[in-house]
Amino acid sequence: MTDQPNLVAVIINGTEHQVPAGEMLIKAAQDNGTYIPRFCWHERMNPVGMCRMCLVEIETPRGPTMITACTNPVADGMVVHTENPAVKKAQEAILEFLLANHPLDCPVCDKGGECPLQDQALAYGPGESRFVEIKRNYEKPIPISDLVLLDRERCILCARCTRFSDEISGDPLIEFKDRGNQTEVNTFPDLPFSSYFSGNTVQICPVGALTATPYRFRARPWDLQKVESSSMFDTAHPRIEIHSSQNEILRYVGVDNDATNHGWLSDKDRFGFEYLRSENRLRAPMVRRDGRLVEVDWPEALDIVATRLQLIKEEDGGQAIAIIGGANGTNEDAFALSRFAREVIGTPHVDATVGDSLSTHFLAATVDRALISDIDEADTILVWGPDLKEEHPTLYLRVRRAAQELGKTLIVVHPAVTGLDDRASHKLSYRPGGGHDLLKDISSGVHDDVLEALSAAKVVAIVGIASVADGAQLAESVAAVARQNAGSAKILPLHRRANTNGALDMGLAPNLNPGRQAAPNPGMGTRAIMDALDSGEVRALLLVGADPLADMPDPRPARAGLEAAEYVISLDLFINESNADVDVILPAAGFAEKEGTVTNIEGRVQKLNRVRPAPGSARPDWAILDDLASQMGYSLGLASAETIAKEISESIPLYAGVTHDHLEWEARDGAVVPIDGGTDFEYLPVAIDGPKTPGAQLVLHQARTLYDDGVRLRNSPSLHPLAPGPVVHVNPSDAPGLGVKSDSTLVVTTAHGEGRFKAVVDDKVPAGVVYVPLGQAGGAHLGTDPVVRVKVDN
Amino acid sequence: MSHWSEATQERARQIISRYPEKRSAVMPLLYLAMAEEGHLTNEGMEEVAVWCGITPAQVQSVASFYTMYKRERTGRYLVSCCTSISCMLLGGDDVLHAVEDESGVPHGETDDEGLLSVEHVECIGACGGAPAVQVNYELIEGVTPEKARELVNWLKKAKPEVVNTDEMQQLFGGGRSFDWAITEEGGAVGPYPAFQPLGTVKTEADS
Amino acid sequence: MTMPLLVTKRMTDHPADSHTIDRYEATGGYEQARRALTLTRDDLVEEVKASGLLGRGGAAFSAGLKWSFLAPARPSYLVINGDESEPGTFKDRQLLERDPHQMVEGIIITAIANEVHHAFVYIRGEYPKPARRVQQAVDEAYEKGYLGQGIFGSDYDLELTVHLGGGAYICGEETALINSLEGLRGEPRLKPPYFPAAKGLYMMPTIVNNVETVSNLPHILSMGATGYTGLTDSADTGTFMMSLSGHVNRPGNYELPHGITWRDLIFDIGGGIRDDKELKAWIPGGASAPWFVPEKHLDLEITKEATAAAGSMLGSGAVIVMDEDTCMVRAAERVVRFFSHESCGQCTPCREGTTWLEMILRRIEEGQGRAVDLDLAIDVSDGISIDLAWPPKMTTICPLGPSAVSPIIALRDHFRDEVDRHVAEGGCWFPGAMKSGGATPQTPRSPLVTISSTAGRSSQERLSEGDRE
Ligand SMILES: Cc1cc2nc3c(=O)[nH]c(=O)nc-3n(C[C@H](O)[C@H](O)[C@H](O)COP(=O)(O)O)c2cc1C
Ligand code: SF4
Ligand code: FES
Repeated sequence: MTDQPNLVAVIINGTEHQVPAGEMLIKAAQDNGTYIPRFCWHERMNPVGMCRMCLVEIETPRGPTMITACTNPVADGMVVHTENPAVKKAQEAILEFLLANHPLDCPVCDKGGECPLQDQALAYGPGESRFVEIKRNYEKPIPISDLVLLDRERCILCARCTRFSDEISGDPLIEFKDRGNQTEVNTFPDLPFSSYFSGNTVQICPVGALTATPYRFRARPWDLQKVESSSMFDTAHPRIEIHSSQNEILRYVGVDNDATNHGWLSDKDRFGFEYLRSENRLRAPMVRRDGRLVEVDWPEALDIVATRLQLIKEEDGGQAIAIIGGANGTNEDAFALSRFAREVIGTPHVDATVGDSLSTHFLAATVDRALISDIDEADTILVWGPDLKEEHPTLYLRVRRAAQELGKTLIVVHPAVTGLDDRASHKLSYRPGGGHDLLKDISSGVHDDVLEALSAAKVVAIVGIASVADGAQLAESVAAVARQNAGSAKILPLHRRANTNGALDMGLAPNLNPGRQAAPNPGMGTRAIMDALDSGEVRALLLVGADPLADMPDPRPARAGLEAAEYVISLDLFINESNADVDVILPAAGFAEKEGTVTNIEGRVQKLNRVRPAPGSARPDWAILDDLASQMGYSLGLASAETIAKEISESIPLYAGVTHDHLEWEARDGAVVPIDGGTDFEYLPVAIDGPKTPGAQLVLHQARTLYDDGVRLRNSPSLHPLAPGPVVHVNPSDAPGLGVKSDSTLVVTTAHGEGRFKAVVDDKVPAGVVYVPLGQAGGAHLGTDPVVRVKVDN
Repeated sequence: MSHWSEATQERARQIISRYPEKRSAVMPLLYLAMAEEGHLTNEGMEEVAVWCGITPAQVQSVASFYTMYKRERTGRYLVSCCTSISCMLLGGDDVLHAVEDESGVPHGETDDEGLLSVEHVECIGACGGAPAVQVNYELIEGVTPEKARELVNWLKKAKPEVVNTDEMQQLFGGGRSFDWAITEEGGAVGPYPAFQPLGTVKTEADS
Repeated sequence: MTMPLLVTKRMTDHPADSHTIDRYEATGGYEQARRALTLTRDDLVEEVKASGLLGRGGAAFSAGLKWSFLAPARPSYLVINGDESEPGTFKDRQLLERDPHQMVEGIIITAIANEVHHAFVYIRGEYPKPARRVQQAVDEAYEKGYLGQGIFGSDYDLELTVHLGGGAYICGEETALINSLEGLRGEPRLKPPYFPAAKGLYMMPTIVNNVETVSNLPHILSMGATGYTGLTDSADTGTFMMSLSGHVNRPGNYELPHGITWRDLIFDIGGGIRDDKELKAWIPGGASAPWFVPEKHLDLEITKEATAAAGSMLGSGAVIVMDEDTCMVRAAERVVRFFSHESCGQCTPCREGTTWLEMILRRIEEGQGRAVDLDLAIDVSDGISIDLAWPPKMTTICPLGPSAVSPIIALRDHFRDEVDRHVAEGGCWFPGAMKSGGATPQTPRSPLVTISSTAGRSSQERLSEGDRE
């Protein structure tokens, strides 16, 4: 899109326009101010020309001809009429046909008021219908998934939903059925439309045929307030529009952001707002008095915390206080926390990655960092990391499109079958823990076709932790191999928490100063902090939206540390595993309850906006920290998110110019940092070598799923039931040997621990591997060692 | 993990090998699924999905597009009466009503014993021998309402293992679209076409 | 009008065994296929161009010209269209059943001319007997080494797959046929590209030809283009098959020279109207074609041009004759019903419009017609085929939708009074007036193939169970 396409001249309704050659007429007209009505055409999908609403007349040697503007590319000198009597007549006819069998239930239809059919019937329609026969009738709405309802009477058969699930999300579970006048959209019996992306079909349905259970009947479009923001579940920060009414969020709608999500959202990003209004939100500060947490007011809470931190600081210095977290908030929050740590507490022990991420050095290294849009430009895309469909849905859709529509070479390396395998040109799998051996084989040419693909001119390597047993170094080694072989390799390291990049940029890592500068004397990371708490070397801990017990692959040190800690304070939205018995809890404002900026996985800064008040007296992190500072006798002078952003843009070169104003007025798609932020943080050379493939006959694959028991989902009634729960997947060929049938309960034992899981016989996991999704309600921690024993529980 | 007979699976492999891409085999495999169970069941469609590497929803989408993949319980004899223009001009509707009346089975339905299904169909390419009727797609041309009633009773009583177009033409037919010249053995055993690659062509001897 | 038979000669001379390979070879069979192997693609394309052979599938497009459009990419494919489903048409059935080797030889010639190594014959599912005969012929040809690896001992490979349809007229449309063959729904593809010769099966260059078209090729090669064009002095060369049906004394297929008149066909060849009734109207080229009436059209020449000039087409060569006792409303309803039943459902105007027309006509026939209904039907038709022009100005992807308005044009131009009388007298006065028995469009046509909403219901049950958990 960057290089200027060659233009051709088309004359639309008498006016000549220069438009990109090969562009579809409907798009060219639209970009030049002529709207051609349409139902089936969608800018992000291949045209089908089914609804025929976009008929226009063009002049040909054989006289005027009617064509569909959505299926015919512009040609030089093309003369087009979109509003002459012939066209108007055709449009009226199409609308009368569409309405012939369409129910007149607009008053009770969710789409009423924002319905293209309704609008276009008014704008281009014939008035009233001459259809006197009985309308087609179907059983009223049927649930085709846990989130989506289908009303076939309203469907106008535009094939948007079927194309989306087939072409875009790659799970063709909703399809046309029967033919002609009987044609309907439907699923296969007992095989629901269980797609992680089903909500998009609701958004693009041009009528009210597909509706979302979480939104149904909740409001009418005309009394919705609409505010743009970005989703904070997905590391790509897909752009959304928040629709609210009387301060209550009713739904998110995907916004077509060219740089990130193309308008698509995973169902988690689309429906993941219910937790904000949860009963369980923390509403007031609480302090522990004789064993129980009791509510107090802010002045009292701040006074108690300030006094205690002051004391510890005077006795043992700031070093005795550590801070974990800060990657779930805004950059402004992170900046405040960073200054609080350095200027108020004076501690280097700060870690936003909670010990379950790639090394902060690797994440912070900025050379050859890939942009999401680089995926479209690459010759070869390497994905060696988590199943993108499960952990990075926006990237999943982008990579899928690149492979399917743009014909890119795609290499997928993962222990099990991933959502991208059906589009991969090369797929390699390995036994969890054995990634380094496979990598050596690849670089020594054992899989020559893969090595060849990796030696292309432009390679984008998307690397992360595919399986807990892989550890953090493998991804760096993979990146190194990619850089060795490719003409030019760009690396996209995958992290977990939505604003990890923002947190690192603000210096929330033991080895980083703000602006991705190396810290002269590094502090401790999460794991070390926990040990130091245990040994007493560190006395107090501040948890900022962090739950190390739930997140750390091996939670034992975390448990020891938290139990031994002398004093623990938690800033959070909810009570979670880690902060259940801390000394002080300070209620924080959550997403959409505060303004601010965030930095996505490619370094793109976008602005979040406020649409609802925080519950009770909950406040933004930065405000809490500012008050706490002054209680302790310091002044951070933080007045508002906007002024903090300004301060960031002035004090951190990477963020130069990235102010709220800039994001609101100039950089609508966000601003990418570091543009040329002048940081010298390079990749460290790493060994390709690493741990050997485990010899054990059964090994354990642990990875995250889109839906899990994270505290935000736990408090989202529509989504939480979709989590797989405590299950273990076993390959069909291993099942008999283990005496396993689906649904039998298995005892899974590792060096670390043991737990009971429901068995799922599943050929998506390779033989000799058992797969346990992480972070499931009631699922035991199994640690990082892949060696595992499995037996039927009886 | 197929629940098809080994013979059917072998046929499926052969059929797939006749096409450059396995998805192209979806239509013949749908007939195999019908031959296996008498009509097209959900299990049948799931099976075809596995063979062709597509989802059951995609298989259903294809199967439901065509009229010959019967997804409801269908009789051993499917009687299809043509009521398109040429047959209608020469009394096709009367033939249909005679069949419905004699069998007691209305259009689109199947009797309780699962013996007869009756449907009226669009043009079956026998306009020169109108009105035309098919039993399990084996053709009879020049059928009168009276002959149609006889046909129904014959099917009910004789319950032929194999229905053969030449035999039925002799018993119940009249004028034909063209000279059939010779008679041949072999015919259909169920409500799906008798065609060698499907293994559905049977003679009385076979059964 | 004396003229040698070509494609039906063998079956006429040797009725008992014209379909066997022995008879076929005994009567000069497969010599031209052998010869074709010695010719270049250009020789063959030019020869067929020069012969003036027109496609017999309905579009009457020059076969040689179509071949010359074949895009360079390889592999290229050949698909023989034996989906013959247009009401009134049954000629391909006879060719498939009675002389399958003739088509196979035509296929070999076409394949060589288009550098094809895998060809398909798509035969409609309701033609099991023709399909059996073709499969038998194909097997025989494989045994003899005329198909398969190195045909006729050359180094040319040719696979031939016989594919059975599933019951859908629209699969006769060449791009729908290709989708169907790919294992997709038989929905026509968007144009452009206008010819599968550019992008067809598996998106590769593909030639689609009709059964009768390729059955002519052995004869064209044996007598040469000049010999073939010399057969008649009419604009259209060679012979063509016509399927005659309806109220004539001698219905059937006739292989005829171009250039005879409709009077010759109906009264001479067809033996006139049954029971000496009067001729009321006929459909000249399959159900898609606008109707002709004796007052205007009886002495027109049966050629592509003459028919087009009179606002209709020869299409698939099916002639459906209607006598004075025929109710034109009922006849129109039956033709429209066909198209609404066979609509693939992609295009709004075809899907909704054809059904609407069918319902209007049925109401009129059954006595609930209103004075406004014919004009309403004309308006509805207008939305499918702008101004009811000929050739149609389609608002649709393929010509099926617009085909459905031909009967409406007939009612408008020739039988308005008959419609008005239905309205005035509250129904039909012709013998055997239609009972409201025929399937009604808004309910599934054959419940046997439609389990609408079962899917929904069961997934609903599944989910409510899920909720309870
Ligand atoms: C609705 C529709 C139905 C058709 N049905 C058939 C058919 O049954 N048989 C056929 O040969 N051509 C049929 N055709 C024409 C084909 O699209 C195509 O033109 C033809 O097969 C090309 O072969 P030919 O050039 O040898 O005639 C149909 C076209 C349309 C639009
Ligand atoms: S015109 Fe009718 S049959 Fe042709 S593509 Fe459109 S809907 Fe399908
Ligand atoms: S928008 Fe062009 S046909 Fe639907």
